[in-house]
Amino acid sequence: MLFSYNWLQSFFDKKLPRPKKLAELLTLHSFEVKEVERKNNDFVFDIDVTPNRVDCFSHLGIARECSAFTNLKFLPVQQAGKMQNFCLPAGRAKFKEDKDIKIKDFIEIEVENRDDCPRYVGRVIFGVKVGPSPKWMQKKLISCGVLPINNIVDATNYVMLEVGQPLHAFDLDRISGRKIIVRRAKRREKIKALDGRVYNLDEDVLIIADSEKPLAIAGIKGGEEAEISPETKNIFIESANFNPILIRKSARKLKLKTDASFRFEHGLDPNLVEIGLERVVSLIQEVAQGKVAKGGVDFYPKRVKPWTIKFNIKRVREVLGIDIPPAKIIEILEKLDLKIKKKTNENLWIVVPTYRKDLLIEEDLVEEVGRIYGYKNLLKITPKAPLQLPEKDEIFVWGLEIKKILKEMGFVEVYNYSFVGREDKEKLNLGKLIELGNPISDEFRYLRPTFLINLIKNVEKNQKNFNQFKLFEIGKVFYQKKGKFQEKRMLSGVIFGEREGFPLLKGFIDILFEQIGISDKYYDEYQPTPDKFFSIFWHIKKSAEIKVSGKEIGFLGEVSKRVTELYGVKGNILAFDIDFDELVKLAREEAEYLPISKYPSAIRDIAILVPLRTKVADVLNVIYASGGSLLRDVDLFDIYVGEEIPDGLKNLAFHLIFQSEKKALSGKEIDELFERIIKAIEENPEWEVRK
Amino acid sequence: MEIKNLKKQAQEELNLIGKIEELKKFEEKYLGKEGKITKILRSLKNLSDKERKKIGKETNEFKDYLLGEIEKRREEIRKREIEEKEKEEWIDITIPPKKIEKGHLHPLSLAQERIEEIFVSFGFSVIEGPEIENEWYNFDALNIPKDHPARDLWDTFWIKSQKSKVKSQKWLLRTHTSPVQVRYMEKHNPPLRIISPGRIFRYEATDASHEINFYQVEGLMIDRDITVANFYFIMDEFFKSFFRKETKIRLRPSFFPFTEPSFEIDIVCSLCKGKGCSVCSKRGWIELAGAGMVHPNVLKAVKIDPKKWQGFAFGLGLDRLAMIKYKINDIRLFYSGDLRFLRQF
Repeated sequence: MLFSYNWLQSFFDKKLPRPKKLAELLTLHSFEVKEVERKNNDFVFDIDVTPNRVDCFSHLGIARECSAFTNLKFLPVQQAGKMQNFCLPAGRAKFKEDKDIKIKDFIEIEVENRDDCPRYVGRVIFGVKVGPSPKWMQKKLISCGVLPINNIVDATNYVMLEVGQPLHAFDLDRISGRKIIVRRAKRREKIKALDGRVYNLDEDVLIIADSEKPLAIAGIKGGEEAEISPETKNIFIESANFNPILIRKSARKLKLKTDASFRFEHGLDPNLVEIGLERVVSLIQEVAQGKVAKGGVDFYPKRVKPWTIKFNIKRVREVLGIDIPPAKIIEILEKLDLKIKKKTNENLWIVVPTYRKDLLIEEDLVEEVGRIYGYKNLLKITPKAPLQLPEKDEIFVWGLEIKKILKEMGFVEVYNYSFVGREDKEKLNLGKLIELGNPISDEFRYLRPTFLINLIKNVEKNQKNFNQFKLFEIGKVFYQKKGKFQEKRMLSGVIFGEREGFPLLKGFIDILFEQIGISDKYYDEYQPTPDKFFSIFWHIKKSAEIKVSGKEIGFLGEVSKRVTELYGVKGNILAFDIDFDELVKLAREEAEYLPISKYPSAIRDIAILVPLRTKVADVLNVIYASGGSLLRDVDLFDIYVGEEIPDGLKNLAFHLIFQSEKKALSGKEIDELFERIIKAIEENPEWEVRK
Repeated sequence: MEIKNLKKQAQEELNLIGKIEELKKFEEKYLGKEGKITKILRSLKNLSDKERKKIGKETNEFKDYLLGEIEKRREEIRKREIEEKEKEEWIDITIPPKKIEKGHLHPLSLAQERIEEIFVSFGFSVIEGPEIENEWYNFDALNIPKDHPARDLWDTFWIKSQKSKVKSQKWLLRTHTSPVQVRYMEKHNPPLRIISPGRIFRYEATDASHEINFYQVEGLMIDRDITVANFYFIMDEFFKSFFRKETKIRLRPSFFPFTEPSFEIDIVCSLCKGKGCSVCSKRGWIELAGAGMVHPNVLKAVKIDPKKWQGFAFGLGLDRLAMIKYKINDIRLFYSGDLRFLRQF
């Protein structure tokens, strides 16, 4: 929100600190000043007023803050010297009423529902001269980013910026039936607003109407019907208080956010309306002349009164942790216009003015004292707390561990968006995904059901710079189950540009599982299930399920060309996709040492001709079963298809490693074992040991 | 006397030897089949017992001595030969190194690990929470009522409901990690000390300092008499430890419905040292966290008596911390998946 330095200065007779210094003080005591910009002999402050301080959506409010942290005397409570200066209580006797003209002869107010409009006041001025507003007024408006229109409208805007009360001026002669009605719009009622657009209204929108038609959208924008024009002579000025929730909802519904609606939706003080009205009438009389009718209309069925907070001074120390002398506390509170009704040694009874709706409990007062006193005076004090061993959720413990294992194997960690696009969903036929009600764009319309999509996009993006890489990601995927939104953690990775395929992938996964203490893992043929749309990602014949104790916890294999080609990937991608939550449940920290055998090991090589589709695991099973406990390890070191190998067959070559824990094995013993294995293999008529 | 002379002669000859071949000849000359020493030993049988013993001993001692000397000489020659050979060799030490591919952790993981480490050492437990939240945990329980403009502080991604069965339960992507506070306090009794790092979401246009998803670390400490001064201490220690240097921080007033009093925590911009530059948008300070003393209404909502317990909560911007630590100027790089970026960590 923009504020003029010169305007703030007008609330004081002594000089404010220089703009940069004042900005710093405001930031440290009240609200952050985002920017100070020099503009036409003035400085414009862009201040981030917090939403709890609607009283500071005005120069009056910010000036009051300034008076609290500087020691300058705040003029509004004094007598203001010039008309351009503002004074409190509201413009009393600052304008002249015409005794002969009585307002009730010209206008009548009817409020349909007092919850929608807790207060409505108005005045009538006759014979105004509509024209440009004076320079000093225009300059201040421009500083605050408001375009001057004419002296009447400018005066209302000026007062809104000055005291925070939005106001509206109607052309009195265009109000039919001498009646202002504050009511809900009817369905299909329309209004052409001052922005030239036509808005369709309904019962959710509050309007200001005359006996025939809508004149304005209450608290949001005026209509063209009773607009102030160069021909306007007589005016009715509205100063009202509307229900904040209602204004907020209407503004959203109509997609029409204005300076007025912004203030109303934060909940203005109903007692501000007369300050605003009196001020604007005096200003109008100054800049556009006219005769002010005697009296005003005032609908105010339920007066809001100041409230009292009992404030135990001890709380300042209990919350802030520092001692502030009681006299200082009282001084600060009084500078903020908080009156002390009663005090004892321990307690203060604080009367809160109605514009400080944010002050309700003791802690609120502690904050007032603390920020004006200055947080730079805070001390750093070690907390007194029991020594206790912290706990870490397993997912953090294992997350880091697993990331480090993958890093050691050369994987690079990526963080991708939690979203996928409409195009992804359509191209991959992803089925039912969780959709955002308000996506930022089609590209981020759905919550990601898998990491693979974004990882494949990563490959596409990086392939022009790198020939070979391995990526992984840990995070959450989202899906629906039985109509409920679900999220779960996944660990997925892709390998790009590696010659070796599946065995390499298995090698990585083996190490990973081994390192986190999962030993009973195995790979099973991929069984596509209908509820899993993921099947589109995998090369059906080159992928497998990762299982632990019969339970599937992930997949690995080659990504199908159907997908890689869709995303413009040039080459094969190997991928794995593992349920991280399950992985963490299975992970174990203990590692156990197995003694290293003192006796030498012996190696024999064996080459076996088998049909092309024979699984290595089947051959290995036979070898292990026949080799017994002395066969310590079997290493597949070559798979060969081609010259010298008959069509339809492949050659598997293994190192067999024999070792005993108890003695050195003799050549004879090893030969016997080796023969036994050969015999077992050749029991399968399709397998042949090459000699 | 013969041996003595022979020893002298051998020593002189040996000193002149500079090549392995010569050494071999020398060895042959003295110790070979027809070598001088071999001959002496062979001739011993012709001597008397007394002389045989004497000369035999002398000769054997001489033989051992000579073997030792030859070996020593051989090593010397070999060493010199290697030295000479290596002098001839050369490599260009400015040659580019062979590229060795290693893995990399994401800078946000690195920053998060460091943060966890620091807070764990202060006795904070590390807790996780869901990313899809309902309105209650994300807003209502945190003293942010429906239709209140305070909600505009968090631009929210709403989840499209399927024919909204339960109308009161609107689902959203959490806009902060604060719901974890509520969830944790519902299940645990004070004293409490936790942090909760995690991904959060904001409906906003992206630029160099804004993203639609990013990370926050929530913190909460509740005990009998925890004060703002305690919070100030913890934060100061944290930043010092995280940046591994003295870091100037300040608290300035702010507003969050779930804390009272509320603060923002700024650190001096490390680039301009507080003078104001483009990185800190000319402010001289960089905002790193929102914080405050937990609002009594929040404690009441989770059935903790605010008369007995109090404490602070904070939300640290993880991305921004990492950006400052590693001098990264665009938040979008974190989520780009670009290896040219990721391989630098």
